[in-house]
Amino acid sequence: MAPKATPNGNAAQPPAEATPSNIPAVVGINLGNAYASIAVFTKEGLAECIANENGERQIACAIAFHGEEIYVGNQAMPQLVKNSQNTITGFRNLLGKKFSEIDQSKPASSAPIIQHPTEADTPAYKVDILQPAPKPLPTSNTNTPAASHAATPRSEPIPSTRILTPHEATTMFLSSLLRSALDFLGKPILGAVITVPPFFTQTQKDALKKAAEAAGVRVLQLLDEASAVLTTTTSPQWPGGGEDRTQLVVDVGASSLSLSVIALRSGLGYILGSKTTTNAANIGGDALSSLLVKHFAKEFTKKTKTALPQPPSSKEDIRATTKLLLALEYTKRTLSASPAPASLSVESLHSGLDFTATIARMRFDLLASPIYTAISSEIKSLLESIKIDPHDIDEIAYVGGTACLPGLDNHLLTSVGFSEDVQSAFSSATMGSGAVGDPTGVLSVGCALQASLLLSTSEESPDLVPAFEQAEEVKTTARTIGILFPTSEGNNSDGLGGTYISVLHKHTPLPARRVVEVEVVLSGGEGDKATKFAFEVWEIEEGIKVEKVAPKSSLPPSSDDEDDEDDEPEEVKTKTITKRNFLGALFGETKGTAVKDKTKKGTHTAAVQIEFTLGLNGVLLVEARNSKGEKVGELRVD
Amino acid sequence: MAIPALPASYSPPASTSKLTPFLTQPAGTLIAAGPAFLAHLQLTRHHAGDFSKHLAATAAARAAAQPANGNGEDDDLGVGEESEDEGLLSLDPKEWKKQDHYRVLGLSHLRFTANAAQIKVAHRKKVLRHHPDKKASDTTHTTASALGINVNTNDDAFFKCIQKAHEVLTNPERRRQFDSVDPVFLEEIDDVPTAADFKTASDKDAGEKKGAKGKSEGKKALPFLPTFAPIFAREARFSKTQPVPGLAVPTDGPPTKDPNDIEGHEFAALKAHVESFYDFWYNFDSWRSFEWLDKEVNEGSDSRDDKRYTEKKNKSERARRKKEDIARVRGIVDLCLSVDPRIKHIKQHEKEAREAKKTAPGKKGAAPAVSAAQAAKSKKEEEEEKKRKEEEEKTAKAEAKKAKAAAANAAKKARRAERAAEDGA
Repeated sequence: MAPKATPNGNAAQPPAEATPSNIPAVVGINLGNAYASIAVFTKEGLAECIANENGERQIACAIAFHGEEIYVGNQAMPQLVKNSQNTITGFRNLLGKKFSEIDQSKPASSAPIIQHPTEADTPAYKVDILQPAPKPLPTSNTNTPAASHAATPRSEPIPSTRILTPHEATTMFLSSLLRSALDFLGKPILGAVITVPPFFTQTQKDALKKAAEAAGVRVLQLLDEASAVLTTTTSPQWPGGGEDRTQLVVDVGASSLSLSVIALRSGLGYILGSKTTTNAANIGGDALSSLLVKHFAKEFTKKTKTALPQPPSSKEDIRATTKLLLALEYTKRTLSASPAPASLSVESLHSGLDFTATIARMRFDLLASPIYTAISSEIKSLLESIKIDPHDIDEIAYVGGTACLPGLDNHLLTSVGFSEDVQSAFSSATMGSGAVGDPTGVLSVGCALQASLLLSTSEESPDLVPAFEQAEEVKTTARTIGILFPTSEGNNSDGLGGTYISVLHKHTPLPARRVVEVEVVLSGGEGDKATKFAFEVWEIEEGIKVEKVAPKSSLPPSSDDEDDEDDEPEEVKTKTITKRNFLGALFGETKGTAVKDKTKKGTHTAAVQIEFTLGLNGVLLVEARNSKGEKVGELRVD
Repeated sequence: MAIPALPASYSPPASTSKLTPFLTQPAGTLIAAGPAFLAHLQLTRHHAGDFSKHLAATAAARAAAQPANGNGEDDDLGVGEESEDEGLLSLDPKEWKKQDHYRVLGLSHLRFTANAAQIKVAHRKKVLRHHPDKKASDTTHTTASALGINVNTNDDAFFKCIQKAHEVLTNPERRRQFDSVDPVFLEEIDDVPTAADFKTASDKDAGEKKGAKGKSEGKKALPFLPTFAPIFAREARFSKTQPVPGLAVPTDGPPTKDPNDIEGHEFAALKAHVESFYDFWYNFDSWRSFEWLDKEVNEGSDSRDDKRYTEKKNKSERARRKKEDIARVRGIVDLCLSVDPRIKHIKQHEKEAREAKKTAPGKKGAAPAVSAAQAAKSKKEEEEEKKRKEEEEKTAKAEAKKAKAAAANAAKKARRAERAAEDGA
């Protein structure tokens, strides 16, 4: 089960009672093409993205072979500078692919992909390694070789080559992740959930599953990224996790962008629309890095009068570019974390010259604006294609290291036109390493949560487990259903004629049950005699009213600068509600309590629980209960 | 904010419409992830979309899971919560010798039975609530005062008491010393029944004294077993040898309802138990000691003589108290023995057996131990036989007398006839 190697000599597992038994021994793995992360349940019972033994939460998907040594993760990255031929990166996307399918047009900065020498049409990597020297022959007391005057020749490691398929590389990498999780948990891992990108085919999924199983872990599910986000964002750990909302998932990977609009209805979610862009030149972390490299290369040339052409041509230039790229990772992280200018320094970047530079957020955002614009235009086109106004998006869930940049959030908010109170990790201040809203950990945390859920389900009701692999067909409500407490005609500003509360949102899957609690002022008499309340049940239509408001400018409009932006009328969007279908009215009677406020003497109020139950048969049952749980009114809508 | 009242003139719209037809587009398929999806599956697959069934099932499942993980939180080993009154919270840590350490740690329901783990849990609980750091930060005492926690006084007096109690109870030696003079135990041993309680209440005297003493009229007979069983149970804690035999005769079934603890036991078992019980308690080996009550050696004086004098005094005081304690236990055992109805029963039984042996020495003398029932039965038989024999003898005697008389008469007649014949001849 567990990997056989136990590093650092702490092989002895702690006794079973040391860790509380109710903490599931599962691991959630977000396996990206560039970076991976792992999440497990901590002693507090919360799923958390954990750091590996090198203290990295974001673990680079790289394996480097250097002599007898094998480096996995972030330690392998520096090997790209001098030992790029023996360093493997980007192996995930090659899983399950045939050699002929792989696009080799881009120059590789790591070990090249070759045709497997023995297996037909299989991609492989060829790395030079040193095999450990054979051990000296075992000697025994009875059969000791005769003493010789000549010194025993030192046994040298033997240079050889090793052929690795992407499958083997993935297995190797996953087992190192699992070892980190095992060290953290201190008990054998019972199962794992691994993310898959939306563009993975079934063959690729099968290949990933096979690779993970070869690494020695039971794969409970391969969860696509949107589902992993859903699991995290509907968990109690997430601020406002249980609320009904429409969520936009912005997953900015190294080379891909996947967007999904998800309707979340009391934890149940389904995709209203999604879009994935891969290998585009102007999207993702890699594109951002190359823009920055260009900028810094220019700056280097300016400072030192040494040319560093982009794209690099000579071997030395490639090496310098790689050095710059590695250093940029830290610059990007610093920019995400703090508003102060970030520094970048590389020793002996090119021709023995050191390079140090700083970059402020403003400058960075300016440089990155082509990437930001590309992302925002993708979002706009997705929202247009599914006919959802940006104002209807209640929450943006950012995923991926590039999405940590505050500049991206700012740009999206202004250019796409989300409403001002849209929720995101930036607005709820849950950014930062280790926090629940951290875009780099969202996927792995979701996987860990899903893994524990599947593990407990497989014990309690195994019949439900296959349903997690199938598509669950549901019907959803077409319109939002809400309740309206009618008031006297005079004070209705919004034209509804009362106080309106939404109960069942549009696109709520059947069956559904919602409970709202309201405090109503009772009517029908003075003092104790007031026992009556009533409300109407309506189907409503939500719309967005766009008003053009001319900005108040202090200066008189001048005729000569026509294209002044300030003079254009600003669009102000407001949500509107219009009544559509009257479904019925509910009259109820209950005893209230007197209001203590002296100005409202004689009024009685009661807390009323209104329960909406929408059955599979499409019958809506509205029940009102008082604070004691007694039914005080009922309405049935067929 | 309350929703304003319904206007008096309100009437609902006349026409109602049906729900808009449900959508199967867009999407139509749920994302197969998250606990809500599992709940949806359970609802649709197991409960056919019935919310009430589903809610009941989840509530039942939660209730079933509850005891498994101990009230949903960490198992507190049955330490529980104990109310802290004003008197407890205002304890003076300088007077720590006088405080009830179990009460301070909230263990009054366990006392000497509390094990090390429970003491640890209780101490942790108290420290979490009363640590000075907590009080300093907790300036809002709205909830705390509602819970009865003393946060107004910013001093750490009670915390010191807690630390002292923990120090004493975690050291086995000191805990024994404290247990020896446990204030609750001392209170309990004050009301030991005297011999008079049993005499005035015993059935024989009740009749006699009914008229004479009005006081004893209301008094009911003190039942033997319910009175003495708890006394011995609480004394048993001091025994060096454990377990200690209980007062009641052990049974396989439910405990006997007979306050005298005689019915429902085999005579031999009863006798064996009672004998071993008194044997144990007359040789009671107690670890109870009285170091706790030692007078402190005056700290101020360096005088060695002073110290020695106090130590000597303490030693003799300890010895005296120990002696008193032994005498006290002996007194209880004596009293118990003197009023033990089982002893009376055994004595009587043995007496009867002896008597039976005396009357019929040859018959069953060889058998050393006969069961009570058999003995009683054989005795009855013997008695009946004796009676029968006596009667037989009586009748035989009477018959013999008659025969004698008849013979005498016959002899007289014969002599008379002889004489008459002689006279006639």
